[in-house]
Amino acid sequence: MAQTDTRKKDEVLFVGIDLGTSRSSISAGNGKREWIESFVGWPKDFIAMQVVGKPVLFGSEALQNRLSLDICRPLEHGVIKEGINRNDEAVKEIIRHLIELAGPASGQKIHAVVGVPADTLKVNKLAIRKAVTEFVHSLMVVTEPFAVAYGMNLLNNSMVIDIGAGTADFCIMHGSIPSEEDQKTVLTAGDYIDEQLFSYLSEKYPNSKFNKNMVRQFKEQYSFVRDTPEEIRVEIPVDGKPVMHDIKNEIKRACESILPALTETTAEMIARFDPEFQVKIKNNIVLAGGGSLIRGLRDHLQDALKEYGPCKVSCVEDPLFAGSDGALKLAQDMPSKYWEPL
Amino acid sequence: MISAFSRKKELKVRQEILKGIYEENLRIIGKKKGVLLRQRTFSPNRVLLILCIAAIVVLAGGNYLDAPLLAEKQTAGEIVMRPLPSSAELPNASDFKAFITNADVSVSRTFGLGVKTIMIDAGHGGVDSGTRGKMGTAEKDIALDIAKRLKARLDKYGRFHVVMTRSEDVTLPLNKRVELAREAKADLFVSIHLNYLPSKPINIIETYYFGPSADSKTQELAEQENAGSQYGLGEFKEVIEKLGQRLKLQESRELAYSIQKNLFVNIAKENGNAYNFGVKRAPFVVLLGAEVPAVLAEVSCLSNRQEEKQLNTEAHRENIAHDLEAGILDYINKGEAGYGADRYAEKR
Ligand SMILES: Nc1ncnc2c1ncn2[C@@H]1O[C@H](COP(=O)(O)OP(=O)(O)OP(=O)(O)O)[C@@H](O)[C@H]1O
Ligand SMILES: [Mg+2]
Ligand SMILES: [Zn+2]
Repeated sequence: MAQTDTRKKDEVLFVGIDLGTSRSSISAGNGKREWIESFVGWPKDFIAMQVVGKPVLFGSEALQNRLSLDICRPLEHGVIKEGINRNDEAVKEIIRHLIELAGPASGQKIHAVVGVPADTLKVNKLAIRKAVTEFVHSLMVVTEPFAVAYGMNLLNNSMVIDIGAGTADFCIMHGSIPSEEDQKTVLTAGDYIDEQLFSYLSEKYPNSKFNKNMVRQFKEQYSFVRDTPEEIRVEIPVDGKPVMHDIKNEIKRACESILPALTETTAEMIARFDPEFQVKIKNNIVLAGGGSLIRGLRDHLQDALKEYGPCKVSCVEDPLFAGSDGALKLAQDMPSKYWEPL
Repeated sequence: MISAFSRKKELKVRQEILKGIYEENLRIIGKKKGVLLRQRTFSPNRVLLILCIAAIVVLAGGNYLDAPLLAEKQTAGEIVMRPLPSSAELPNASDFKAFITNADVSVSRTFGLGVKTIMIDAGHGGVDSGTRGKMGTAEKDIALDIAKRLKARLDKYGRFHVVMTRSEDVTLPLNKRVELAREAKADLFVSIHLNYLPSKPINIIETYYFGPSADSKTQELAEQENAGSQYGLGEFKEVIEKLGQRLKLQESRELAYSIQKNLFVNIAKENGNAYNFGVKRAPFVVLLGAEVPAVLAEVSCLSNRQEEKQLNTEAHRENIAHDLEAGILDYINKGEAGYGADRYAEKR
């Protein structure tokens, strides 16, 4: 990257952060890009502390040690383990950890743009602001699909559909910051698919031993809608012995369970605009988030919307970082007069 | 021309959007729209905080380093262990070879600093009585009495700081005991318990240090002694794998041998029915957290009627305290005398 004002860049480290229900990522002006699963775990007691050897654990490491930890998934509508409510603290830890991962030079000021799920209420945004404040010099909070749109230069006549874990967020861009009307959130997303898949599998294989975590992994490995030529068989223990299970149909049903809400919401939101604009948006629909990795999803949506005229749906290249990359771009483009010390 | 025009337009759109975001954020924090604040200087506090975070990042490379652990790693290479007690006495280690061969040595002993603080843990207490003899003698009471006597005996030397996890009949969770040992910066941890084996009319003496056990009797005992902690035995496999490198197992085992030897030799003199069950490993929670030599001694057996009677005499309890004292001192003296010799032996 050729930067003319290097000296100035060095004083400030711009970062874009995507706080997601299931995964959070950071993209920094120094080129670092890191992500963690949005789980935070604190050792339950001293012994647990001995066992895990750290005061706080993140992501998959936290999940692996969950027996010794109080685990919190702060951006979910609750916590995984009952009995504690440390959401604010957990958000703080995630931010702190992400910024550490970005490795600011000593003395560097941090200017951050943080993308949050679109349905995060105003109060909640304030809470997130509070959590971040400690670690940055200046901060802006934006909605996640908007950050994705900005990062991909989709400022006008476009639509971003971010299919995450907790929510699928829709956002139509028409040359200004999206109003409430331009954004919509539905709850049929990754977690919903997991729940469906879990119940389908429990029904079909009542004696097999699997948990939510395994089910999510099956989904992430094999997700598809419509059709796939391959067989889908996974190993699940039955009475302690691994047994192969055919789960193709269940994967398909579970993944397809989000389709109706997806197509209907998309069509509905587009329908509010005048026909000329509708055509433009429909040729500029972008799928983002982990859910965009479901095979066949793009084709399905494109075909479903074609009923009302030509349409082009594409997927972001890097769903893990599309949000934080966009947030970083926003941070770097933001005029310095807007960066106020907190 | 067109592209220049559209680029200009796009730039304008972009500016509008950035301004919009700024204003929206002002609204979130409840400030009025569009009022740009004058740049303020940063509060020194915040600058300090960020510097601290940055410094931590630089120093730790993003990891939480365990400083004492590092010190051990550095010293471990320089030390040759004394020969272990005869292999016949060794616990069966086939499935956990790596576990038993790990060569860690207490830092205080390595540097000849000696043992200063000794933590004595009287098992159970309060609502948890432990086991109970047929005449009603409770493990918690005997354990506490012996612990107090042991403390008094060790105090007499004047060179130890002797602390107890509990000095009264109070309920004390296992993890709390571990924490107390940590806080006291104990160099040794000795937990006192009494066995109960209804099927055998004998008095069994055994001493444990932390580790996995494949023996179902030991597992049962561990489950009893761990009752009240939130940890189940199943969880220990992982714990053991992780902690194997950090616990002072080698040292704990030696301490266990010293204590077991003294206990058994002396008790066998009085009670012909005493059996030496030796030194064993078991996943006792109370031994888990201590990063210093830690043992759990089952000093007597409440299911044995004769032994229960004897335990109710002061003299017998004093004897047991004496045996524990002798075991601890043997260990300490051996360490201090042995260290120099090992050093020379190592040089070859
Ligand atoms: N290959 C895949 N196929 C289907 N789903 C996937 C795949 N990979 C990841 N996912 C799912 O995507 C979701 C995570 O996506 P993402 O990281 O965008 O969510 P998030 O940003 O954490 O959540 P949200 O946006 O709701 O806050 C999870 O439900 C995950 O299981
Ligand atoms: Mg997201
Ligand atoms: Zn006991």
